[in-house]
Amino acid sequence: MADKLIEAKNLRKVYGEADARTVAIDDISLDIDKGDFVAIMGPSGSGKSTLLHILALLDKPTEGTYIFDGRSIDKYSEDELAKLRNEKAGFVFQAFNLLPRTTVLENVELPLLYSDIKESDWQERALKAIRIVNLEHRLKHESAQLSGGEKQRVAIARALVNDPEIIFADEPTGNLDTKAGKDLMEIVANLNKEGKTIILVTHEEEIAEYAKRIIRVRDGKLESDTKTK
Amino acid sequence: MNIKHSFKIAYKALKVNKTRSFLTVLGVLIGVTAIMMMVALGSGAENLILDEISGFGGETIVVRPGKQPTGPTDIAGTLFNDSLTERDVELLRRKSNVPHAEKITPFVVVPGNVSYEGDTYTPFMLGGDVNFFVDFYDAPLLEGDTFTESDAKQLSKVAVIGDKVRQELFGESDALGKDIQIKDQKFRIIGVLAKRGQVAVFDIDNLVVIPHTTAQKYILGIDYFHEFIVMARDVDTVDRTIVDIEATLRGAHKIDDPEKDDFFVVSLSGAAEQIQTVIATLTAFLSSVVAIALVVGGVGVMNIMLVSVTERTREIGLRKAVGATEKEIMQQFLLEAILLTFIGGFVGIVLGGILSFLVALGLAQFVASNWSFSFPFSAIVLGMGVTTLVGVVFGLYPAKKAAERSPIDALRYE
Repeated sequence: MADKLIEAKNLRKVYGEADARTVAIDDISLDIDKGDFVAIMGPSGSGKSTLLHILALLDKPTEGTYIFDGRSIDKYSEDELAKLRNEKAGFVFQAFNLLPRTTVLENVELPLLYSDIKESDWQERALKAIRIVNLEHRLKHESAQLSGGEKQRVAIARALVNDPEIIFADEPTGNLDTKAGKDLMEIVANLNKEGKTIILVTHEEEIAEYAKRIIRVRDGKLESDTKTK
Repeated sequence: MNIKHSFKIAYKALKVNKTRSFLTVLGVLIGVTAIMMMVALGSGAENLILDEISGFGGETIVVRPGKQPTGPTDIAGTLFNDSLTERDVELLRRKSNVPHAEKITPFVVVPGNVSYEGDTYTPFMLGGDVNFFVDFYDAPLLEGDTFTESDAKQLSKVAVIGDKVRQELFGESDALGKDIQIKDQKFRIIGVLAKRGQVAVFDIDNLVVIPHTTAQKYILGIDYFHEFIVMARDVDTVDRTIVDIEATLRGAHKIDDPEKDDFFVVSLSGAAEQIQTVIATLTAFLSSVVAIALVVGGVGVMNIMLVSVTERTREIGLRKAVGATEKEIMQQFLLEAILLTFIGGFVGIVLGGILSFLVALGLAQFVASNWSFSFPFSAIVLGMGVTTLVGVVFGLYPAKKAAERSPIDALRYE
């Protein structure tokens, strides 16, 4: 049996108070093993992004327990959570979120700024990550000069640069055309083959097909959880 | 994250919004420039006055009749007060009474003008020993001689004149040996002082000095003095000498209660301290008024930082998502605010320095020839310190706001 990286029990996330109360996630429990490739699917407003944010340590559940890497997140301080996000996790966002007026190389180096890795190793690490996403020829380009597909590949390189355990991706292909989306998913699938745990949120079936396991969410509840490969 | 990278990020952020950063910096810059000018000009004024006083010599003690003046009417009073007499001079000159006095010179002030062959000029005229100016004021004779004790005893009608008086009355022609008219009396010029300019309260060039006895008897018709100038042996004996003078004069004038003194004694070192205090207070007051401008500048910094934090919500979220701690975010934004005020402070100090230098040049040219530019190092340190403090104070709240953003709220923000 594979190691469990994530154990979530009875997660609930509630926004607002009284009349304005919205339950985004309602009693979701799931485990994710190291090396898994999970697609979280569901219509808009289903709570799939909220679930990903909680799993990715960007947000905290209102109720329930969430154990990441063998330790409940309640037990982590804010600074320890920051360290965890820095070292164990990588993030890819639908809107790329690259720093403007900043080169590809500097964008990829960003997480290193907040790490314990010494500065002399930064460039080598960044270059290694950029090579994985095939953007060596774009090192000195600023984000505005890149296509959508290239931007998202930079975002992946940025997520990889600290050699994390797991990569979280929120609709990574949402702003890309079909071709760029497929290219990107090839890269993501390769990363999984090399051992990275991947959790991505999507509403496109073709994208979800790359995953080994598909979790469907509807109205904040877990609808189905199927292994596809 | 180390400070070098925080600095780089802050610099880049300010560079992106050049105009905005410039205008924000301007607010601080104006305040600092104004403060620097206040301090520099205050220090220049202080130096000027202290220079004059030290030119006079810290050993100088002045005894005047009447009460210490507190207004213009009191000064007029001293001119008509007859409490300082020849006998007082004799008593003060006794070593047993005032052991540390080097020299005691009585003076009378002679109002009016002098004329020569129809040319009339109004100098500053004194009856007293001209050697006093030669010995203690470094005012050497250009030509001729000073008058002597015997001139005073014989009530000689002789005069020593300053360089400007000579020019006004005689132009390029010879002054020595000529007779000038003072109040329908003829006085022979026996000496001309070299050009010396302003020394302490006296414009040496504008002086006409005649023996005090002649002035008292023939011109003023009085037998008292307007002023004694006492030189103590050195600065350290000034205070003791003042006490001795007061005791001697009280004895001579039969005064038991110091409140009823019919004379007063001032030392220039005491006056210097008073002037220093006045200028320091004035500078502090003006600077604190100007400091309000700095606070306004600081509010501008805070305002722009809050805008920046809102604008860069996504960036903050991203940084937190990739591992930035609250402390690191805070450090970054605080540094940005400090950088803004620091640039303002630095440029303000340089600009304040240049402007006060120009003002000093102007003052030296048109107002006081011996005004010198002064820009105290302490002002630079103070200026930098205050602006950095303004950056910290007004940058803290926006930085804290930035740091407290949750990574996910920040990423959702559109």
